Amino acid sequence: MKFGLKTAITRRCLTLLAGVSALGLVATGALAQDAVTLGIVTPKQGPSASIGAHMAQGALLAVELHGGKVLDRPVETVWLDEASPQISQQNMQKLADEYKVAGVIGGNSSAATLAMMSVAEREKIPFISAGSAASEVTGANCNRYTFRAQAPAPVQVEVAFNELRGKKVYFFTPAYAFGQDVLRTSRSLLEKYDMTEVGNDEVPVNTADYSSYILKIRKAQPDVVFGALVGLDLSNFMKQWNEMGMKGSIPIYEVAVSDTDFWDIGMAVATGVHVKPWYYKDPQNPEGEQKFVAAYEQKYGVPPSDKAFFGWFSMNAMLDSIEEAGSTEPQKVVPALESWRYTEGKFPYYFRDFDHQLVRPAVIVKLKDTITDQWDYMDVVRWTSETQADTEEVFGSKEQSACTMPAL
Amino acid sequence: MLDILLPQVANGLVLGFIYVLIAVGLSITFGMLGIVNFAHGAFFALGAYFSYELVRLFGWPAVVFAPILVAIVGMVVEVVLIRRLYGKEPLLSLVVTFALGLLIEAVIRYFWGTDGKSLSPPEFLSGFVEIGPVFMTLYRVAVLVATVGVLVALWAFLNFTPYGRIIRAGSRDPEMVDMLGINLPRVFTGVFGLGCAIAAIAGILAGPLWTVSPSMAANAIMPAFVIVAIGGLGSFAGALIAGLTVGVITAITIQFWPQASTAAMYVLMLVVLLLRPRGLLGAQWERFE
Repeated sequence: MKFGLKTAITRRCLTLLAGVSALGLVATGALAQDAVTLGIVTPKQGPSASIGAHMAQGALLAVELHGGKVLDRPVETVWLDEASPQISQQNMQKLADEYKVAGVIGGNSSAATLAMMSVAEREKIPFISAGSAASEVTGANCNRYTFRAQAPAPVQVEVAFNELRGKKVYFFTPAYAFGQDVLRTSRSLLEKYDMTEVGNDEVPVNTADYSSYILKIRKAQPDVVFGALVGLDLSNFMKQWNEMGMKGSIPIYEVAVSDTDFWDIGMAVATGVHVKPWYYKDPQNPEGEQKFVAAYEQKYGVPPSDKAFFGWFSMNAMLDSIEEAGSTEPQKVVPALESWRYTEGKFPYYFRDFDHQLVRPAVIVKLKDTITDQWDYMDVVRWTSETQADTEEVFGSKEQSACTMPAL
Repeated sequence: MLDILLPQVANGLVLGFIYVLIAVGLSITFGMLGIVNFAHGAFFALGAYFSYELVRLFGWPAVVFAPILVAIVGMVVEVVLIRRLYGKEPLLSLVVTFALGLLIEAVIRYFWGTDGKSLSPPEFLSGFVEIGPVFMTLYRVAVLVATVGVLVALWAFLNFTPYGRIIRAGSRDPEMVDMLGINLPRVFTGVFGLGCAIAAIAGILAGPLWTVSPSMAANAIMPAFVIVAIGGLGSFAGALIAGLTVGVITAITIQFWPQASTAAMYVLMLVVLLLRPRGLLGAQWERFE
C-alpha cells in the first residue's frame, strides 16, 4: 500500500476532525453536565390529554419565569407521557436512567402516580404529583421522595358534603383508585351528613357513551348526583346529560374537576357545583398568582386551568427547594421541600413533613347560569377554609394519617 | 323489570347502529381489499373534526361535505400508501395502517390541539321522544334513521348498481376483472375512499353525542374490530347483527353490572369465536384463504 501526499493530507484532516469532534463532545458533555434536568410526566393522549397539556405548560412557564436557571445552571426539561400507569412508570424509569433528572413534576391520575412513586422512591428522585387525589398517595403508600399538591379525595368529599346535608344522592365515580376512594369516603360520611344513597355506578375510564347511565339516574330520581369523573369522561357525561334534558333538573356535584373539562364541551352544556383546586378568575387570588395568569395568557393565548396552576406551583416548589438546598442531591432537596413555604397566599401553604401533603384550601365553584365569556364559566362560591387553623383541621392530623414516613 | 329493560334496549340499539356504521366501513375495506385498516378510527375522528369546522364556519347543512373531504383524504392515502400493501403479508398492512392511524391522530392534534371541541346537535333536533317507558332524544332517533338510510343505500349500491357489481367482482377475482378492461386500481381507490367516507359519516353523527377529541379514534376502533370479528370479516349483514347485539348487551350490562360494561363485548366476542371461529356470518373467501 502506498501513502502519497493526498493520503497524508486526508489523514491529517481526519485526525484534526476527530480532535475537533472530541473537543466538541467534551464541550457538549460539560454543558449537559452543567444543566439541571427536570422531568414532566403528564397525559399526552387519552381522556386527560387536555389536562396534561395545561399542566405541562404551567410547569414550563414556571421554569421560564424562573429565568430558565436554577443554582445558576440552565434548566432542561423532558416531557414524557402519562398514558397509563404502566407507561408512566416506564417513563419515570426512563427519566431516571437516561436523563438523570433532579426532580419530576406530573402525575395527574392517582393510578399513574401510585405507579410512578415507587420508582421515585427506588431511584431517589424528588417527585411532586400535581394532580392525583387518592388517599393512598400521601396515606398508606406514602414515601419520602413523593409530594402531592392536590387535596386528597376525603378532604374534597367532606367539603362538598357540607353543601349536601339531608339529600338523596346518586354516586357516579370512575372505576379506578381515585374514584373508589371517593366512593368509599362518601359512603362513610353519609350518616354524618344525614344523606341517603339511592344508587351508584362505577364507570370504566374512557367511556364514550353515558346515555344508559343517565337513564338509570333518571329512573332513580336522586336529589343530587355526586361524582368524580375526570377529563373527557366528565365532558362526555355532561354533554349527554344536557342532550338528554337533565341539565337543571338534578344538580351535579363533582370533586377534583378541571377547567378544561368544561371548556371542552362549551358554555351551553356546562353545569353543576364543584370542588376544584383553584380558579383563574378568583378575586381572592394573590398578586403572584395574578401575574402567573397574565404571563400564561400572554404565552399561550388562553387562561390557565387549575391543572396549569398546579404545574406552575409544583415546578416553583421544586426550583425553590433546589435553590434552597444549594444542590440537586435528593437527600438535600427532599428536606428543602419539606420546609418549603408558599408565602404569596392569605396564609402559608406547605407540604406536611409527616405525609408530604400540601396543606392549601380549594375552592367551591358554581357554573354560571348564563355564560357569556369564552373561558370564564364559573363563580367562586367560597374557599373550602378561610384560615390556616381551619385548613389544617380539614386536612386532618398526623395521628389520623395512614402514612408512616420512612427515613431518607 | 320491563320498564327498566326496554329503555336500555332502545338506547343500546342507537349505540349499536353507530357501531355498525363504523364497523361496516372497516368490513368493506377488508372484504373488498383484504386490508385490515387500523387507521379506520382516525378517519372516523377526522369526519367529526371536519364536521366541527364546517358547522362552525357554514352551519349544519355544510356537514354533507365532511364525508366527501374524508373520502378524498382516504383516496390520496390509498394511492400513496395502501395500494402497496395489496397481496402482501397481512401483518404488514396491520403495522402500516396502525402507524397511519397514529399519524392522522398526530395531525389532528397539530391542527386542532388536544382540547376537546364542542359540537351540539342542530337546534331542530333538540327535543325528546317518550313512548311508554322508552325515552330517547330526537337527535338519537335521527342518528338511528340516518344510519339505517346509509346502510340501505350502501347495500343497494353494492348489489344493484354496475359499480357495486364491479367492486364485488374485483374483490373476488381481481385478475378476471382486470382482463375485462376495467381499471381495477381506480376501483380499489374508490372502495377505500368509500370505507373512509362511511367512517366519516359515523364521526359526524357521533360528534354531537361525544366530545370531539383526538382520543375518539381509539374509542371507535376497538368496538368496530370486535363487531367485525363477531359478525365475520367482510360480512355486511354480520356487522349489522353484531353491532346491534354489542350495543344492546353493553346497555344492559350498564344497567346491572356497570363495571363490566366495557368488557361485555369482549366476552361476547370470545364466546362467538370459540363456537364459530369465522364469526357469525363469515364466509370462506378463497382470495384470502
